[in-house]
Amino acid sequence: MTGSVSEPPSGGSAVRHLLNAVTLPCGADVDELLEQVADGHGTDRDAHQRDCVHCKAALAEFAALWAPVIDTAARPVPAPRGLTAAVMSQIRVLVRDVWYTLQTTDLGVIRIAARIVAALARDSARMVPGVRVALGRSTHSKLAELAEQASLKHRHPHAAVGVFGRTAVVDLAVAVTYGDPVHEIARDIQQHVIAALRDHVGLRTVAVNVIVDDVLMDEDQ
Amino acid sequence: MQPEPQVGDAYLVARARDGYLDAYEMLVQRHSAMAYRVALRLCGDHHDAQDIAQEALIAAWQNLARFRAESSFSTWLYRIVTRRALNKVTRGRAAELADLLDEVADPVPGPAAQAERNLAVDAVTDALAALPFPQRAVVILHHFEGLSYAQVAEVTRSSVPAVRSHLFRARRTLGTKLEEWR
Repeated sequence: MTGSVSEPPSGGSAVRHLLNAVTLPCGADVDELLEQVADGHGTDRDAHQRDCVHCKAALAEFAALWAPVIDTAARPVPAPRGLTAAVMSQIRVLVRDVWYTLQTTDLGVIRIAARIVAALARDSARMVPGVRVALGRSTHSKLAELAEQASLKHRHPHAAVGVFGRTAVVDLAVAVTYGDPVHEIARDIQQHVIAALRDHVGLRTVAVNVIVDDVLMDEDQ
Repeated sequence: MQPEPQVGDAYLVARARDGYLDAYEMLVQRHSAMAYRVALRLCGDHHDAQDIAQEALIAAWQNLARFRAESSFSTWLYRIVTRRALNKVTRGRAAELADLLDEVADPVPGPAAQAERNLAVDAVTDALAALPFPQRAVVILHHFEGLSYAQVAEVTRSSVPAVRSHLFRARRTLGTKLEEWR
């Protein structure tokens, strides 16, 4: 950097000339002018900049120079397909959330991942009027633990990790619309989810724990 | 089904801590694009960026208990992604985030992966790749991601004057490179 720009730049070297200087002849700081343009405020000029030929020229040069950066920054960079699924898959392994329902039929054994049960419960809860957010968590009940322990003793080494038969305990954290009768919504959720899991997964014994932990105003949506 | 309302990240973080993987999945859906985008711009390689994003999102989950509520989840994730990208470009050498704005030797990044970029984008990408990592990081966080100087300082565990100083130098270097290209 060579201090102040001593003479008006010309031709293609104008920007380079500016970038080699610290200040313009008017005393304006070159870095601050470039910062102004780069931050998208090149046209928001103060009283000095509106009248100063040096500042006006520098701001115009910098605007042209920086335009490709702004264009590049604006280009969307989509996430790779499957990134979310890959992350969640690894996390489920880490939390050992890999247990299944187990149903024995005349034709063989049906296993359904517990997280599917939780997802069905969550989606079912979201259908209930007044529910704004529902998050599902499948948990072991004492009965499920006993069933799992019993089955683990006999399971094949390559079988799924943990089973809990036709019993499910599902926790649902929900946020509801402010003003709606919370206890009625919670009861509706339980009935809705129990019916959905019976119909879609064939689970006979289902306990649905509803935790209403937030209320949202209409304008939150 | 009713549309999913926008609940705050803080709510989802709290629920994720309670064991609701659903909640963390929503956070991942919200922020995975950012994690990948920042990683790609910092390291310049699709596969590395994918690894960094994935590892950062898993690391964030593993460390949720240590996440401090005074910082936003996204700022925290920016920090994890940036630190991991720094480790990647320094080829695994231990690098503390506190040292992010110190000068570090920077390897020449590999060829850009995108096939259909126009010349201007190529020029900007190449100019960015030629910047030392600390300068590249502050340019990407501020000019590409829209973080304020204070937020960039929080992500890089630095100070606003240090961020501003790096930005001044980075913009001059970028400007010179772009002028050569024009």
